[in-house]
Amino acid sequence: MKKIIYIVALLFLVIGINQVFSKKKPIIVGDDLCENCHLTLEDKNLLPAQAYATDIHKSKNITCADCHGGDATTYDMDVAMDRNRGFLGVPKPQDRMKMCIKCHSDEKRMKRLGSALPTDQFKKLQNSVHGQPSSNNRGYIADCISCHGVHNIASPGNPASTVYATKIPALCGNCHSNANYMKMYNHKLPIDQVEKYKTSLHGIQNSKGDITVAQCASCHGHHDIRTAKDPKSSVYVSNIPEVCSKCHSDAKKMSKYNLPTDQYSKFVTSVHGVALLKKHDMSAPSCNSCHGNHGAVPPGVESISNVCGTCHNLNGEMFSKSPHKAAFDKEHLPECETCHGNHGIMPTTDNMIGTGSETTCIKCHDESDKGKGNEYAYEMRRLIDSLKADEKNVLSLLGQANALGMDVADAMFAMKDIRQVLIQTRTCIHLANFRVFKETLQPGFEITKKAAIEGKNAIDDYHFRRTGLGFATIIVTILALSLYLKIKKIEKVQKEKS
Amino acid sequence: MIELTSLKKRISAWIDERYEISNLISYMKKKSVPKFRATFWYYLGGITLLLFIVQVVSGILLLMYYKGTENLAFESVQFINTKVYFGWLIRSIHSWSANLMILGAFLHMFSVFFLRSYRKPRELTWYTGFILLLLGFGFGFSGYLLPWNELAYFATKVGTDIVKQVPFVGHYFMVLLRGGEEVTGATLSRFYGFHVAVLPAIFTVFLTAHLMFIQRQGIHEPEDWKNKSESERSYMPFFPNFLLRDLLLWLIVINILAILAVFFPWELGQKANAFAPAPKGIRPEWYFMFMFQTLKYIPGKVWFIDGELLGIGFFGIAGFLWFMLPFWDKRTKIGIRNKLLNYIGIIVIMFIIVLTILGYVLE
Repeated sequence: MKKIIYIVALLFLVIGINQVFSKKKPIIVGDDLCENCHLTLEDKNLLPAQAYATDIHKSKNITCADCHGGDATTYDMDVAMDRNRGFLGVPKPQDRMKMCIKCHSDEKRMKRLGSALPTDQFKKLQNSVHGQPSSNNRGYIADCISCHGVHNIASPGNPASTVYATKIPALCGNCHSNANYMKMYNHKLPIDQVEKYKTSLHGIQNSKGDITVAQCASCHGHHDIRTAKDPKSSVYVSNIPEVCSKCHSDAKKMSKYNLPTDQYSKFVTSVHGVALLKKHDMSAPSCNSCHGNHGAVPPGVESISNVCGTCHNLNGEMFSKSPHKAAFDKEHLPECETCHGNHGIMPTTDNMIGTGSETTCIKCHDESDKGKGNEYAYEMRRLIDSLKADEKNVLSLLGQANALGMDVADAMFAMKDIRQVLIQTRTCIHLANFRVFKETLQPGFEITKKAAIEGKNAIDDYHFRRTGLGFATIIVTILALSLYLKIKKIEKVQKEKS
Repeated sequence: MIELTSLKKRISAWIDERYEISNLISYMKKKSVPKFRATFWYYLGGITLLLFIVQVVSGILLLMYYKGTENLAFESVQFINTKVYFGWLIRSIHSWSANLMILGAFLHMFSVFFLRSYRKPRELTWYTGFILLLLGFGFGFSGYLLPWNELAYFATKVGTDIVKQVPFVGHYFMVLLRGGEEVTGATLSRFYGFHVAVLPAIFTVFLTAHLMFIQRQGIHEPEDWKNKSESERSYMPFFPNFLLRDLLLWLIVINILAILAVFFPWELGQKANAFAPAPKGIRPEWYFMFMFQTLKYIPGKVWFIDGELLGIGFFGIAGFLWFMLPFWDKRTKIGIRNKLLNYIGIIVIMFIIVLTILGYVLE
């Protein structure tokens, strides 16, 4: 017991001595002589001290000297700002971030200061596009103070903060809307993002003070912003659906806007989603391909064929020329979407056309249809099914010929064109013109007819070869036998004579 | 019937009056062929000749459609196979007949070897026959490339590479054969030229000489007949007996040829592509297989001599000795039975058969 008392006493003694001989004495708020002195000065010497009054760091007892160095315990300017005593003054651009990371990358220190902020910001920034050397090579393209400001730094949730949600578009626009500035780094990057954003539903809501809607950082991230071409970027084409779904699949967030939240779940199983996310086809559309990105708005009823037509241009063009265009507009039916759906578009099949209950045509052209829609839908399906059946039969015939060892490579090759004909025919359905449909499909029937003849001829030829061989063999054998008998006869006569 | 016979006689008389056919027939009737247990082997020369005639006829028919250029060779053979009426049959017969002709020539040569028919005074018949066999190899080697398919392309590459190993003149010969450093379209045109012009011209000269020698000297009699009396010897007239038997065999061979061509049509494979990796199973024609397989067994270096060179040297010397057989077979020359030669012949045949089988089995 006595030993423990001695050890505790010794510990207190060591701490006491350390405090007495410590070079730096703790400064109590209000005792920061740097701040006190600068508040008596004017203009540029006054402003930092004034701004610092509301800075979040001041509330954490962080003094001017903690960043700028020097002695905050004396009014003697020569002593207080003596560079030999560690005074740094205004840090150079390449050094100023060191002031921030001194604490913000030190987990223990942040905890001691009572902050729950993450400590990986600097690491993230270093890997980001902004963490690259600036054009004058005197620092980074953007560092902490570029966004968070200096001396008046507030928590991002604080409306006074420069990175408050409603202030972010303008903050980013400071550089990204400046053509001269952006030329120094990426002259190909557009500078109208903020202007577009203002016209988007996100931007409109944001300007009204709605901090739930997406702004720049919601999609691009904060400290770890990467270019959209970087697969690690949150806005890389295949990452976009997930980024959008962070809000659009959140029922709580979306309830305010009365929006559905199933778009993402539908998209991932759709033909587009599978192509993009499973097959990694980077040319497949993501959310922004149809909705836009900075100027995101849902496509209007009459603009859908243009949006889809960006990729499916022939289909879009044909639809615009079709009688369906005027009819859909009249009924306010969304163009492509009426037949194909939107987020959950499934691969098209021939089952979509025709007059069966599962078809899409039947939605408008049922049996009571006064026009010829029902009849044409029925015929179109019948003709396509007929060509597919012909294709199957002819391929089977050619397969038989091939198995018999006959060469039907030409016919096989020609049959590959059936696929092309079917693709063209399915495309021209968008024209809703039965005459053109038939004309497009007709070459397919001609190919199958020709290939069927070739296949049949090959099989006939196979049998002919064998039959011919049989006859030839019989004839030659008869000749051989006759010759053999003749030889025997001659030799018999010769023997008799001799 | 009487009228028909008299018409036949009148036609024969008409022809005989102008071409004196009766002289030729009476000459052929005077000719006789020894009749003994090995007479069958005497028909092999005739069969080989028939197959050569088939080659000439089917080759001429193929010539009408074949195009000997790098871009068109494969396609033209494909066209012959699929579009030309009976083209598939002609090509298949040409390929089968070529192989059977070499087989016939081999058998004919060995029968002559074992029957000692090469001995004096038929040395030149042996020499010309051997040269005809080599020319047959030449036909085979050059014809193999003509369809310009993958297998033939790489086999020709390997084959012509072997030629390079011959000391001093090897590289020169390789360039001469290929028409350059590599197997290209120039090689194809060159081989085509050899196949349809150079080789047939030389072959015709030697074949004419070979046939003339046989006609002039008659057919060789068995060695042991020298000790037999006239009554113990048996002959058959060349005309009509031997000739008709020859014809009978020809008909049988034609039947076999037709069955092979129809049931086992010759495949074309894939078009040659110089940039494609060499396919599996590159192999020469079967009659080169024993040499190809032997070269595989010879180590890369034997003492200070290159393995391939040693192989070429071995086959070169062996071939030359075989060629010169009538010259160095002194015992047969003086009428003494040379048993050692029989053993050599059997060893050579076994060597060829075993190595050929190994070549295919171990592929």
